[in-house]
Amino acid sequence: MLLSFRRDQVDSNAASHNNNMEAELDSFQRQVAEKFTDLNASSSGDDLLSLEWIGKLLDSFLCCQEEFRAIVFNHRSQISASSSPTNRLVSDYFERSIKALDVCNAIRDGVEQIRQWQKLSDIVISALDSRRANVGEGQLRRAKKALVDLAIGMLDEKDSTRLAHRNRSFGRAKDGHNRSMGQHLRSLSWSVSRSWSASKQLQALASNLTTPRQNDVGLAVPVYTMTSVLLFVMWVLVAAIPCQDRGLQVSFFVPRQFRWAAPVMSLHDKIVEESKRRDRKNCCGLLKEIGRIEKSSRVMNELIDSIHFPMSEEKESEVKQRVEELVEVHEALKNGLDPFERKVREVFHRIVRSRTESLDSLC
Amino acid sequence: MEKPENHATESETNAHKPDDESEQQSHNPTETPESESSSSELSLTQAMEAVDGFIQSLSSTDPLLEIPPSVEPFPETVDSLVSKMESSGLGRDETEDSAFILAVNRISKSVMTLRELRLDSTPVSSWLNRASSVQNRAASLLDEEFRHLLDRSREKKNKNHNNNAGDVSSDSSTHETDRCVLQEEDTFPDFPPESISTLKKIAGAMISAGYEAECCMSYEMSRRHAFKEELSEVGFEGINVEDVLRIPWESLEGEIANWISIVRRCSAVLFPGELSLCTAVFPDAAATRKRLFTGLVSAVTIRFLDFSGAVVLTKRSSEKLFKFLDMYETLRDLIPAVEQSDSDLIEEIKLAQTRLGEAAVTIFGELENSIKTDQGRTAVPSGAVHPLTRYTMNYLKYACEYKDTLDQVFQTEPEPETKPNQREDDEEYKVSAFARQMIKVMELLDANLEVKSRLYRDPALRSIFLMNNGRYILQKIKGSTEIRDLMGQAWTRKRSTELRQYHKSYQRETWGKVLQCMNQEGIQVNGKVSKPVLKERFKVFNTMFDEIHKTQSTWIVSDEQMQSELRVSIAALVIPAYRSFFGRYKQHIDSGRHSDKYVKYQPEDIETYIDDLFDGNPPSMARKRT
Repeated sequence: MLLSFRRDQVDSNAASHNNNMEAELDSFQRQVAEKFTDLNASSSGDDLLSLEWIGKLLDSFLCCQEEFRAIVFNHRSQISASSSPTNRLVSDYFERSIKALDVCNAIRDGVEQIRQWQKLSDIVISALDSRRANVGEGQLRRAKKALVDLAIGMLDEKDSTRLAHRNRSFGRAKDGHNRSMGQHLRSLSWSVSRSWSASKQLQALASNLTTPRQNDVGLAVPVYTMTSVLLFVMWVLVAAIPCQDRGLQVSFFVPRQFRWAAPVMSLHDKIVEESKRRDRKNCCGLLKEIGRIEKSSRVMNELIDSIHFPMSEEKESEVKQRVEELVEVHEALKNGLDPFERKVREVFHRIVRSRTESLDSLC
Repeated sequence: MEKPENHATESETNAHKPDDESEQQSHNPTETPESESSSSELSLTQAMEAVDGFIQSLSSTDPLLEIPPSVEPFPETVDSLVSKMESSGLGRDETEDSAFILAVNRISKSVMTLRELRLDSTPVSSWLNRASSVQNRAASLLDEEFRHLLDRSREKKNKNHNNNAGDVSSDSSTHETDRCVLQEEDTFPDFPPESISTLKKIAGAMISAGYEAECCMSYEMSRRHAFKEELSEVGFEGINVEDVLRIPWESLEGEIANWISIVRRCSAVLFPGELSLCTAVFPDAAATRKRLFTGLVSAVTIRFLDFSGAVVLTKRSSEKLFKFLDMYETLRDLIPAVEQSDSDLIEEIKLAQTRLGEAAVTIFGELENSIKTDQGRTAVPSGAVHPLTRYTMNYLKYACEYKDTLDQVFQTEPEPETKPNQREDDEEYKVSAFARQMIKVMELLDANLEVKSRLYRDPALRSIFLMNNGRYILQKIKGSTEIRDLMGQAWTRKRSTELRQYHKSYQRETWGKVLQCMNQEGIQVNGKVSKPVLKERFKVFNTMFDEIHKTQSTWIVSDEQMQSELRVSIAALVIPAYRSFFGRYKQHIDSGRHSDKYVKYQPEDIETYIDDLFDGNPPSMARKRT
């Protein structure tokens, strides 16, 4: 269903038509700038790359995409001449957006992986929950096993293959089924083919993106803008969520002349900073909640290792405290993950719909 | 040296014998060959009974703060059992397994009860600690055994599968036969009943022990791997949207056929099989079952929907219609198999179906466009059936095989114009959205053919062209019950009427003047037959007939029956008239010179030459007069 809300183009006067177009394009630039300034402002400390913040980013993408769709619709007569350069520009954008679909699917696998971690942290929490019952040695062991599985499950891809090779030479000879739960968790990603690479996909998304001059007429500027937004959003998703062959090396640079360049580049730099931090360099995803789980579970693991039975009161209260921390992280993840996944799905569906519309009207 | 485990083994087997027997056995422990223990050792049954008693006592208002001696060694007893089961594995001996699980249940119960009571007593705490460690060890073992059993059963099945495939392929080389044989024994999952029974026991024990989360995770992991293997086996791997859009249609068709076969297999075999397994392993946990089943079928189905979603994004073209409809139907048939899962999944499937349906509507619309834009300025030589007619009718005929699905698909489309007074007599028309589409296409085709017919300057040829195409259309309609019912009686009758009209037109155009020259009027002048007039008449007849024969032998009437009907009708028109004319007036010319010049044809000849008409012979082959 094509858009039904747009200002009239009743004005047949060419000059004022051009003015309308200019105003439309200008408004688009302004909107993008506003959204990203907003995101930049709310990206301090713990907020950047949290589920909620990324959700806001996805919302912004959806808004920009709608606005872009409207612009394309309003200029469809220009675009439908199949040899026109505008046609090429716009088709190019929609072809590029297809690459984003595979990223969305890979992200879905990543979310699934996070859900499995949730199950493990849930085990830890219920094993060490001292509200209803005393925590005995058996419960500690139970929690310990879940924590080990969790740690393995959260390893970065390269580390886990090394671990798998090592485990194969040791372990019991019971039909070779000495893979831990953590390793099982990793091998289930099958939304994308085995050879698919998130970093290559990002590079493909960014390839041949030529920067228009600021006063380029026609749709060159909005197409460039929308493409940059798309690229940035996909880049953030790959940075945050575990996926196959994550790599953030794609060069992303927007020249200052665009109004939205400053906040976008600022966010980009902040995220690159984050990825270089010592404690997050080898993580499987920069999502804040992942970091929190990692930290909580590591601390808990160390604590458990330090406990000798019978547990002193001091240790008991420490366990209680760590459990509370873990519960907080766990809850945040539990509440945030479903809406986040729905938003990613929405992005997927919108991209599909836009492309289908363009297929039907541009050919 | 005490070997409590041996004693325990004995007693386990005794546990299932009638009471008096076990009593006998326990009175004579030293007579059993394996036993080396003293008679003070409790049998496992007795130990468990003691624990039961202990647990009961805990619920009284004044629980003991000591562990009774009969209960004291219980953790270690169970520990030894765990070690034993670790090396022998579960699933070998049903009795052993049951006894083990009963012991695990006991220790779990005692641990859980004691933990909740938070008794302030050192001996109790110490016992509890040992017991909870053992319980954890037992639960871990159960978890491993659970996973092991799930994976091993899966592997055994694969081996059988591959062996069978090997046997069949050595006998026959056709792929179909392979498939047929495999499908006969296609049960999924192919777990032996003993395995399933053991799995059920283990699951029950883990849930009782409070380890439901671990049990579910293990189950889920193993089953997901199983499904992943199933899909890999038929070549269905992770799919990239980009790749689907890149490969040519011929290759994609193959992938689609593959997809259809695996989805159908899921609907018919894999998903129902999984539901059975779930139900068998978790009979008493309905919510758990639903969650596990939903998780599994969702994970698999989403991959299928990814593929169909990507296919829908490819460029629309008319040859894709039927594959899209096949996919639509395949998804429709998948829904019943996932009914036991969450409704979200069903919504996703329906959404994917809708996309396919929308694409199908667009593609069908392409047919209309291709008719509208077929505006060649070259007439088909000889007035034959136009390729557009053939294409359209064959397309529609094939489409009718999917008429129910197409009806579903078109029903969701908004109708642009309504023509309420048209075709009120046809029930099917009113009811079927697809029928309306078909008729629209036919009307477009008719309009197009009308335009094409005007490319012929000869009005007779125009009529023949319209007859040929009209006949082709009518025969195609009549030849298929589906189309015939869709188009309705009135429509078919109308077309037949039109054909007759074209026929009459043709006769008039071609033979009207011929008949005229055999008209008796004007032959007699002043009461006598005028030789010059007669000669002229014969001459004109010959010329006309020659011309018609020369030209219309090159015309084509493809339908044999119609060809014969035409000839018969022409013969019926011309021959009696000529025979009578010939018979009456020939003698007036016979006597003069060059009678041959005027009377060229005998009545029999006329018939022969009429038979040449509409044969589509090239002009050079027009039969010469002997």
